[in-house]
Amino acid sequence: MGNLPLIPAADPMPLPAPLWLFKVLLLVTFLLHIIVMNFLLGGGVIAIVARWRGAKDEKFARLSRDLSKKIPSLLAATITLGVAPLLFLQVLYGQLFYTSSVIMAWPWFMVVVILTIAYYGYYLVAFKDQKNNAAVLGWVLIGSVFLTFLVGFIYTNNLTLMLTPEKWGKIYFQDPSGWNLNLTEGMLLPRYLHFMVASLAIGAFLLILSGLYRWKRDVENARFLIQYGGKWFMYSTMVQFLVGIWFLIALPKEKMMIFMGENLLATIAMLAGILLALAAIFVMSGALRKEDPRKGAITAMSLIGVVLVLMVIMRDALRDAYLAPYFKLSDLAVKTQFGVLLLFLVLFVGGILVWIWMMKKYFFGAQAAALKE
Amino acid sequence: MNYPVWDVSFGIGILMAIVSVTHVFVSHFAVGGGLFLVLTERKAYRENDQTLLEWLIRHTKFFVLVTVVFGAVSGVGIWFTIGLIHPSGTSSLIHSYVWGWAIEWVFFFLEITAALLYLYGWKKMDRALHEKIGWIYFGAAFMSMVIINGIITFMLTPGKWIQTHAFWDGFFNPTYWPSLFIRFIFALALAGIYALITGTWQKDEALKGTVVKWSARWVIPAFVVLPLVAWWYIHSVPAHVWASAAGKMPTATRYANIIVIFSIITFVLSLITLLKPRKIPFVYSLVIVATAFMTMWGFEFVREAIRKPYIIYDYMYGNSVFKEAVPGSAGMDVASLDANGVLKVAKWIRPESREITEENQLSVGREIFRVECQSCHTVDGYRSIRKIVNKKKWGFSSIYSRLGLLDKMFNGVMPPFAGTEKEKTALALYLASLSTVQETEEAAVAPKISGKEVFEQHCSDCHEAAPDDPLFEFMKQYDVAKISYFITRLDSLNEEMPPYEGSEDAREILAKWIHEQFK
Ligand code: HEC
Ligand code: HEC
Ligand code: HEM
Repeated sequence: MGNLPLIPAADPMPLPAPLWLFKVLLLVTFLLHIIVMNFLLGGGVIAIVARWRGAKDEKFARLSRDLSKKIPSLLAATITLGVAPLLFLQVLYGQLFYTSSVIMAWPWFMVVVILTIAYYGYYLVAFKDQKNNAAVLGWVLIGSVFLTFLVGFIYTNNLTLMLTPEKWGKIYFQDPSGWNLNLTEGMLLPRYLHFMVASLAIGAFLLILSGLYRWKRDVENARFLIQYGGKWFMYSTMVQFLVGIWFLIALPKEKMMIFMGENLLATIAMLAGILLALAAIFVMSGALRKEDPRKGAITAMSLIGVVLVLMVIMRDALRDAYLAPYFKLSDLAVKTQFGVLLLFLVLFVGGILVWIWMMKKYFFGAQAAALKE
Repeated sequence: MNYPVWDVSFGIGILMAIVSVTHVFVSHFAVGGGLFLVLTERKAYRENDQTLLEWLIRHTKFFVLVTVVFGAVSGVGIWFTIGLIHPSGTSSLIHSYVWGWAIEWVFFFLEITAALLYLYGWKKMDRALHEKIGWIYFGAAFMSMVIINGIITFMLTPGKWIQTHAFWDGFFNPTYWPSLFIRFIFALALAGIYALITGTWQKDEALKGTVVKWSARWVIPAFVVLPLVAWWYIHSVPAHVWASAAGKMPTATRYANIIVIFSIITFVLSLITLLKPRKIPFVYSLVIVATAFMTMWGFEFVREAIRKPYIIYDYMYGNSVFKEAVPGSAGMDVASLDANGVLKVAKWIRPESREITEENQLSVGREIFRVECQSCHTVDGYRSIRKIVNKKKWGFSSIYSRLGLLDKMFNGVMPPFAGTEKEKTALALYLASLSTVQETEEAAVAPKISGKEVFEQHCSDCHEAAPDDPLFEFMKQYDVAKISYFITRLDSLNEEMPPYEGSEDAREILAKWIHEQFK
């Protein structure tokens, strides 16, 4: 396998289900992870900005409080939804992923420590925010948001390092102690920014969704949320066009070409993604001028939902293009474990049903409705 | 072998120990604590005890901050850490048990959601619904333990899986059930112990009394049952696996004793709380937390210790070498490595080290040490090899002969050395270069040395100073002269033994000492 002596052999155990199933599970759970991660990071930034503006304007102060209360649960969701792609990534690309992780072992290990600190910081803000300690907790919030961005940065380092085995030997043998990152990677910065700017845009949906949820009870506040969120969405998506172009041209030429016709699926995904994102901006800006922006906002969000799916497909095509010289997924042996697979699927569907039941009872139950004043 | 080794000077094992023991201590609370929450909620409503209910709401917050935050993050942390320390072992676990992990994840997902809803639901939900969410939480948490227990026990006692590689053969393995019971009982005890923390923090003495009494009812029975289940567990571990913890391998014995001592202490301390439940100070609960922690720590360490030299028993050694070739093991099993050489087969060897030359022997030896030994040893930190060779005053030839017998030392805690003779020589040369003892000195160790010291230096790797050890069983029939003679002929007594390489004087001293023992 591969033409580099360093690339580890794939695990002797065959894949316990067909390749496509793992791919689907990886991409679907990754998409969910990234969406809540976006809510978390975008929500965090907006909470900081709103906190600052809240000194003069109670609307913003309230928004910041609302967001701060949601953030710990969003972090819990990000982690929980991150575990699944972490599993499937190891199944499919383990020999690459473990290696890049070991090469940058300390930063990778620190993810866990950083997350713990950020997490308790968020809870402190959510549970203990009062007038007398507002300044300190403002800084705690900023610190936690910063740490969360740092986690994302470490992820991008690892997930890009994993794609470039040709660089491994040099980095590792120079310093096997794990104090490495992947800073010389050309696509590192634009790729990271691509995710972070997306967080602002998608994070803004959190405000819009709250607005939709509140519309019946408190139109004024709901309209403000949709307006303000809509603006965050539009401006950051405009910036995203620049970052996206930077990302594309930062790729080595032969990788860039997969989006220029070489790989039909990737090319169509990119074109469609750009067009749909543009359309979403137009729809949103139209909606914001209306008395009732709900319909337009929902349309824009749905368009972006499709864009996200396309982006995930592009990212996957890019990964396989990077790995093509070294490794083909289709070389992995398969021996399906039907019994357990079935058990998983049954429990998975059952789990989703129970989950939906719980969420429905919590957010839309009789008691909850009564409490909506 | 297959992966690069994370080269941490103080020893990666320590990092793993810290992450996993803290996680285990919290994740078992996450299981037992769930049951505690719902049952306490019911009790409070049944007895119409409003203050208890208010305490329980605060306790729920504590519970979430400990389990959902620290428990979940440290669980991810274990995964990160073992992936960094044992990539090959992790890969095996993932690939053999993907669907186990995936099922585990479904429950984890429900668990986290239910915990948060239970917390926020105190204000927002009616009583019946809230209790239902609590039960869902406990059910999910319990099920995630049921799953993870199968995978963890598989590592120690893979059972029939070794032949079949079939999911359920490894999952329901010989230690599955006793281990599950130990974990569950411990989880119940921890529910009470953590409740003591927030309980003893209360100012209201009546409330404190109620909570302490109620918590003690979780801890005390658990510590009564624990020894029984531990006994069951020990008996389901195959004898040869357990032997290393039962006395021959000192580390595991020490941990086994820790379990016994600290569970007795925890039991007694919890009984004492019942004398004056209203007066128990907060620090007292912390002491109980500490002793329970030590018990759990002992349990986890015995498990780790008796699993040595394997990461997955009878399948893969701690240094990622396969015990025997399996399809796809890429020549990384002992026999193939002996035939083809580590330097040819291992992936993460510097290009210039693939061939041994006169000049590069030491640096190649260092690399072999990194890929074969560093999963358990370090040069200067944890289980320092420099300390070992200096303490034992070994020179090249002592080291070289011992490298052929690594798997015989300490009752078999180490994998055999795998590689060619040339590679063994390079490793021995490197290890000898760490020693301050010169080859000529080695034979002439100071004559003032005591018999015990000679024993420590030359025999204690494989023999224990105990009457039932084969060394003493055999020697006790003879006089000093005969013993001294046998020491010169160890390799013909038993082919697994290295020849004695100390000085004449030291041999006499040793012979006399052996003769005096256990009369
Ligand atoms: C699976 C883990 C593991 C691996 C791999 C391993 N060892 Fe060990 N080694 C141990 C343990 C455990 C001990 C016992 C230490 C103790 O109990 O004090 C030990 C003890 C030793 C001792 C004897 C120490 C003494 O006090 O007599 C030597 C020498 C040694 N190891 C060398 C090596 C070499 C060389 C390698 C690599 C070829 C190696 N070990 C690989 C776990 C390991
Ligand atoms: C590298 C491991 C190792 C070292 C070091 C070692 N032995 Fe042994 N020895 C063994 C093994 C293995 C056996 C066989 C044990 C058995 O039969 O259970 C053994 C057995 C013996 C026996 C009993 C032989 C018989 O036929 O019953 C004697 C006596 C003995 N050793 C003496 C010594 C003395 C003295 C030293 C120190 C100078 C020593 N050994 C060092 C591994 C070792
Ligand atoms: C809360 C902090 C987190 C942030 C900000 C974050 C952010 C990110 C980002 C930006 C990426 C994409 C990187 C890239 O492709 O360049 C990513 C991917 C990923 N994240 Fe997270 N993440 C977080 C937590 C986690 C956790 C805790 C886990 C696992 C338990 C996780 C699992 C994953 C996985 C497996 C991928 C890669 C999926 C793939 O390549 O297909 N994340 N994350």
